[in-house]
Amino acid sequence: MSISTPATDPILSAEAIAARKPGPFSLAGKSIVTPILLVLILLAIAIVTMMIGSKPFNQVIIDLFVRVILVVGLYVFIGNSGVMSFGQIGFTCLGAYVAAWLTINPVMKKMSLPGLPDFILKTKMEYWQAAIFATIFAAIAALIFGRILMRLSGIAASIATFAMLAMINTIYSNWDRVTGATSSVVGIPIVRSIWPYFTAAAIVIFIAWLHAISRAGLALRAARDEPTAAAASGIDIPKQRLIAFVISGAIMGAGGALTAHSIGVVTPDNFYLSLTFVTLSMLVVGGMGSLTGSVLGVVILSALIQGLRFLEAGVPVGGSMLALPKGLQEIALGIIMIVILVLRPSGLFGNRELTLNRNRSE
Amino acid sequence: MKMKLTLLTAAAFTAVSAVFPAFAADDKIVVGFATAQSGFMQAYDQPAADAAMIRIDEINKAGGLLGKKIEVVKADTKSDRAEGAKAGLSVLDQGADLVVVSCDYDFGSPAALAAEAAGKISFFLCAESVKAGIQGVGPHSFSASVLAPVQGATMAEWAFKKKNAKTFYRLLDTWTEYNKGICDGFDWMMPKLEAQGAKLVGKDTFKNDDASIAAQITRIKALPKEPDAIMLCTMMPGAVSAIKQIRAAGINSMILNGSGVDGSYWLSAVPDLSNFFVPVQGSIYGDDPNPDVQKFNAAYKAKTGQDPSSQYVYPGYVMIDVWAKAVERAKSTDADKVVAELEKMKGEPTLFGPRTFTSELHHQNTAKYLIAETTKGKPHIVDSWTISEPIPLDALMK
Repeated sequence: MSISTPATDPILSAEAIAARKPGPFSLAGKSIVTPILLVLILLAIAIVTMMIGSKPFNQVIIDLFVRVILVVGLYVFIGNSGVMSFGQIGFTCLGAYVAAWLTINPVMKKMSLPGLPDFILKTKMEYWQAAIFATIFAAIAALIFGRILMRLSGIAASIATFAMLAMINTIYSNWDRVTGATSSVVGIPIVRSIWPYFTAAAIVIFIAWLHAISRAGLALRAARDEPTAAAASGIDIPKQRLIAFVISGAIMGAGGALTAHSIGVVTPDNFYLSLTFVTLSMLVVGGMGSLTGSVLGVVILSALIQGLRFLEAGVPVGGSMLALPKGLQEIALGIIMIVILVLRPSGLFGNRELTLNRNRSE
Repeated sequence: MKMKLTLLTAAAFTAVSAVFPAFAADDKIVVGFATAQSGFMQAYDQPAADAAMIRIDEINKAGGLLGKKIEVVKADTKSDRAEGAKAGLSVLDQGADLVVVSCDYDFGSPAALAAEAAGKISFFLCAESVKAGIQGVGPHSFSASVLAPVQGATMAEWAFKKKNAKTFYRLLDTWTEYNKGICDGFDWMMPKLEAQGAKLVGKDTFKNDDASIAAQITRIKALPKEPDAIMLCTMMPGAVSAIKQIRAAGINSMILNGSGVDGSYWLSAVPDLSNFFVPVQGSIYGDDPNPDVQKFNAAYKAKTGQDPSSQYVYPGYVMIDVWAKAVERAKSTDADKVVAELEKMKGEPTLFGPRTFTSELHHQNTAKYLIAETTKGKPHIVDSWTISEPIPLDALMK
């Protein structure tokens, strides 16, 4: 683009532009505090869990880290693009099944999933290797779907992503020689250590942050806030959305693989509406437009769920047990979520991020 | 000398204190229920868990197991798989020697896998898939019920031998593994019956949530002659609608089912239903030929305030019964020893028929079933049947 007559327009003079141009890593330097703080919070949770040493609590925290991965995955696309996608859990399903295909003992696989290609039937990988393949597979799927879906916007895009979820679910629920259809796929090695999940969550948080401050992330957020102006400034909106969609798909795939290893069983209905809505509500309650919101939304809602569940199980008060009626947890959680959204319509954190200085430097 | 004695005492003391924690936890035997106490699975898990509690209370009243009281700990799976894994770990953390998991393989397996990883015995309350055991969990996992294929095979053979049914029609609801299992058993039995003169005149499928099975019914009506028996492999809630439509179309063939449709709670939806047969492990209708089953039904009513709603109450009782016997015989709650004793059970008598476990199959591939016939909307026991040979493992693994 050529700059017209610098002499008559001082704002566009080369020096003026140079003076206003931020240093090469200034944005990164300013905002890196956020992912570091978030990872430190998760690290603190992990260390406390280690110290408590209770197996069920350990599993609760593993679940929490998996949810963090999924919700950050949602944030990368939904938060940055402003397009509500109901389909990302579809990629989680793809990732989970790749993990299952690659890690189950070949003897068992031959029996339960005889339709798999021969080279997959013979492979037996470590869980982390399989997770990498799951990530790549989900990313490729996201690229293919995204090429078509990212041309749409608004409600059409949302419904199309939902259709994609339904499609993936239907295929996986019926392709019995490859996915075992609706029956559980078992024999996936279970990983009960908290650290792989923590590491994955930390990596995902940094990837989300890197994407958000990258050219693509900034362009996408500009397109979210002012689509017309962004397009007029030369931003190729479908392309920027596609980039976010693929990164998000990859993260969801990794989350799927880890979900599979955390419980050891996968079925297609694990990765359908209920998981979609749980993760979306965590994102919305936390604050859609903020990485902090997506991570802490999971932490806060999970803590609430566990707290209510603890009360449901009963607490000894004096000589008697004080317990909430079973099932109240879901109701109370719903009410709390409504209250949060009434008081803070854009979620707990809105567009803000966690930083050390209280005043945001803009 | 004195020095030596001190050393010896010290050594003995160390040894005692080293093994002491094991003794401390050893004054009781813990049974952990990682089952659904809320959510849709609760309707299946709770009755069977109540029945298990009846057996536990009986054992405790009679002085306990190996002289120790059985203590029960519980964790709710909330009818959710991920919660199931946590529930399993939670009861294990509370020292469970036996982990009781959900009725359904899909929902019970996460907790069972947790138990397997901890080297403990897990028992599915009433799962009827071959996976609920060695094949889908591991060598320490068992199921207390009878395999679904046995139900299909039992009904086919009984109808042929006792009701003189010659022509069969197979109608499968492809919704669940359980449904497919019933028809798998039927399919395994059918060629044997065909060699003796029976004939399979057609097969068809539908889906549980199909609003109408008119197309399937038309095909049955198009047969030159109404089949003697229809093997209906389905379950609630779709079963009611399918049965209603078959009868409304004027098809009066015997309808054979799996145990999943046992119970009278739904019969008012199909008034005056007749010629309808279900295999059951025990009768909830007050006419079980075994008086001890009647006694159990009374105990169940006393404990829960209601009669058993279906035969799926009974496996819970059988489960504690066989496990406790194995523990007595092994004189230990050590998982491997108890498994070895369970695997020695060949036709072990229980209140609800003999039970067999082998090192290949921790499930029943043959069982004595009572046959409940519904006449004019009233179910009652008419016969009992045990299939002529157990279903082989390769037919089950299909």
